[in-house]
Amino acid sequence: MDSDMKRKEILEGLSRAVVEYQEDRAVELAQRALDEGMDAFDAIMNGLAAGMKTVGELYDRHEYFVPEILMCADALYCGLDILKPHIRKEQADASQGQVVIGTVQGDVHDIGKNLVKMMLEVAGFTVHDLGRDVPVSRFLEELERTGSDIVALSSMMTTTMMRVKGAISEIRESNPAVSIMIGGAPVTREVADLFGSDGFAESAGNAVQEAMRLMSQMRGDAAALSAR
Amino acid sequence: MEGTTLVEASIQLGASIEALCGGKKICGKCRVRIEDGAQGGLGPDASHSHAGPWKAEEQAHISPEERDAGFRLACAAQVHGDLVIFVPEESRRAAPVISKHVTPIHIDPDPAVKLYTVQLTPPSLEDSTGDFERLCTELERIHGLTDLTIDWLALKRISRSLRTGHWTVTAVLWEDREILDIFPGIMEDAYGIAADVGTTTMAVYLCNLGTMEVVATESMMNPLAGYGEDVMSRITYHMTNRSGLETMRKELTAGLNSMITRACNRILPVGCDCERGIAADSGHDVARLSSYGADHAADLSPGSNDKDRDSRLTTRRLLLDMTVVGNTVMHHILVGLDPQVVGIAPFTTAIGHSLDIRARDLGISIGDSAYVHVLPNQAGFVGADNVGVILAEEPHRKEEIQLIIDIGTNGELVLGNNKRMISCSCATGPALEGAHITFGMRAASGAIERVVIDPETHEVDFKVIGRQAWKSRLIPEEIGAKGICGSGILDLFAELYLSEIITGSGRFNPEQKSPRFRRDADSGIAEFVVAWANETAVGRDLVITQKDVRQIQLAKAAIYSGCKLLMRKMGVARVDAIKIAGAFGNHVDRQKVTIVGMLPDCEPDRVSFVGNAAGDGARVALLNHGKRREADWIARNTEHLVLTLEEDFQKEFTEALHIPHMKDRFPLIEAFNRPSG
Repeated sequence: MDSDMKRKEILEGLSRAVVEYQEDRAVELAQRALDEGMDAFDAIMNGLAAGMKTVGELYDRHEYFVPEILMCADALYCGLDILKPHIRKEQADASQGQVVIGTVQGDVHDIGKNLVKMMLEVAGFTVHDLGRDVPVSRFLEELERTGSDIVALSSMMTTTMMRVKGAISEIRESNPAVSIMIGGAPVTREVADLFGSDGFAESAGNAVQEAMRLMSQMRGDAAALSAR
Repeated sequence: MEGTTLVEASIQLGASIEALCGGKKICGKCRVRIEDGAQGGLGPDASHSHAGPWKAEEQAHISPEERDAGFRLACAAQVHGDLVIFVPEESRRAAPVISKHVTPIHIDPDPAVKLYTVQLTPPSLEDSTGDFERLCTELERIHGLTDLTIDWLALKRISRSLRTGHWTVTAVLWEDREILDIFPGIMEDAYGIAADVGTTTMAVYLCNLGTMEVVATESMMNPLAGYGEDVMSRITYHMTNRSGLETMRKELTAGLNSMITRACNRILPVGCDCERGIAADSGHDVARLSSYGADHAADLSPGSNDKDRDSRLTTRRLLLDMTVVGNTVMHHILVGLDPQVVGIAPFTTAIGHSLDIRARDLGISIGDSAYVHVLPNQAGFVGADNVGVILAEEPHRKEEIQLIIDIGTNGELVLGNNKRMISCSCATGPALEGAHITFGMRAASGAIERVVIDPETHEVDFKVIGRQAWKSRLIPEEIGAKGICGSGILDLFAELYLSEIITGSGRFNPEQKSPRFRRDADSGIAEFVVAWANETAVGRDLVITQKDVRQIQLAKAAIYSGCKLLMRKMGVARVDAIKIAGAFGNHVDRQKVTIVGMLPDCEPDRVSFVGNAAGDGARVALLNHGKRREADWIARNTEHLVLTLEEDFQKEFTEALHIPHMKDRFPLIEAFNRPSG
């Protein structure tokens, strides 16, 4: 009972430290979690990451903005640095999935893409970031190299959004198994459907849900296939 | 019209539905109500089912109840049969108040087009030299002009003009090398057009090339707004429509021609008792245009002499030169160049040098043989409009370091002095022009243009365009607010911050003392009521939402971080003077613009508003052709910085989102703005 209370208190504290972007507090509580003999993975997922989920919700309501998200992330990484060396190997391998992410060729904007990358990482995805102005061939190489489950394409201008359609069909052709999600200022749900994208992320917070949805869909497909 | 959207159909029918986002179903400004056919007299067949399927994006702008009442987005609903549509007040495109006033600037007169009057010896059997050669000989003998050429359409007039003028003619020369027209007799006045093609608004200045006077000014909304509010969506229109570029080019030309016609109509031809010169009739803002001689007055009245159609003197024929500035994309569309190269990294242009194109080739209706001089582009996103700004403000001729900010949908910044100049563009976004803001609108009648918030009670007072008195002095029914325009948005932003309704992070303060603060029941998004429904013409509370505040922060951060990175590149910690250009600049409160951290620290009395400097630059180049070469020099010798490629752009931009800034301090501005006593 007592340790349960302590666990709850520490997890809530870690979450709040992230939401209130208090780096010192995150460090202190992460250390206390270890001292109390708590499971490091538990502290990360149900403490730090839970806090980041709240941050994502605040961002979706426009109450938090880019600076706050970055500061929250700083606090999160402070706690993570302490806890990460203590997670067990089988936990470390239990990645949510692998994502290749980048801004499409012709586009040099990457603040939005960086936010999505961070939210995905925090949620337990392994993310391979190709940066900006990325040709389709680079996406294909990286998919080949990493065997990733999802490729996430960002475009911030209507002009480069027009290139996303071609990129999607090229990726489909050479790698039919991968799930594709797109996002960026000019991209709408209708555009995503029109271009034949599997997923669409309206915001950084929403991107995680969408990636999760795609993963479970793929697993479902795989399960259905093996059941046959 | 079958299958077109209601917005497109309204353009074709000449009606006007607001479509700020260019029909991308984002802005929600085009809400219309589909009526029962019986009401519109079209019979019961005209019905809701003729408006095409409901689109998912409409949900964000139309509540289920409104949907039941027939509301749709005009950019989503399509024409599939007869329809009766009601366009509510707020969805109508209001007549804009466009400020493209003429700024008094000094220009040395030296136009590219000059008039030379010569008296020729009539031909005889002994001397049967050709008319053109006879004219050239005399122009060389009297004025030293050699190696002249003549445009074909001018040549077609030469024989008649020489004879009608009894061998006294006025030749119109372009750059002292090509004859553009020949008028019989003595003519003293030639005119030219300086045009500024902005993303949102366009203006023309009709100038007398001899007296340098601006005889008439006309402005209008850019007709390409129907293809998208920003240049990127217009490029996209070109990319997705086979003849998109040509369609837009023609619209743009037609827009320019309509302004030119209106400007010409302001200068009335005078009858037989005409006097020479221009006499401004200030009462009616109309100037009188003289003829070049009473003998030919008959030529001036249209239709008076049908068989002399060729030689009839029309006002258009007197428009003998034209200069144009515009951003790179408008430049490319106007000239018919593929704008795609501008819109995709590495952001190049088809041509950086200035252009001289025959007006008739572009379809611009000025004198038959006249040229249009298109000023040069600097770089992908720094266009001829920015060169125009430099030409008008001349930072390259001064020792002091000036920072010039041209605020438009795309902001352009220039920093420098007579030793070095650097420019950049920054993605300001349309928030400061009223777009992407829930109740944002253009500066037009009914727009809130000034805002004051009581720091104690959080009560709001505001002034609406078209009303002299502030809201607090009117009864609610008289106010009729429709939305908030750019200057009102900046005012409101500063006032929200000063009265601590929003914090420095831009978030609504959790401790609010007024019922004006609330949360949207569905989305949970915080908002603040600027005008209650009974004070508006739209019957809904005018609010500013948390999301709107974020849009304004993005705009101000783009400008500030751009200024800062330019200053760093230049290696200066402070600038001597800041000039704010753009139509928006005229209306802005100096205190409000400095206090929110949009500008780097500077003596506030060195912050000035220079109006439409790009248009002034076009005028400079029209009236002094040496400035055209200078413009080419400026375009090639101004360095260009691509902000997004700067390593720490993200950090600088993020820090600038804070009001006034996360780290930087503004001692000069603070000292000025601190309330005394």
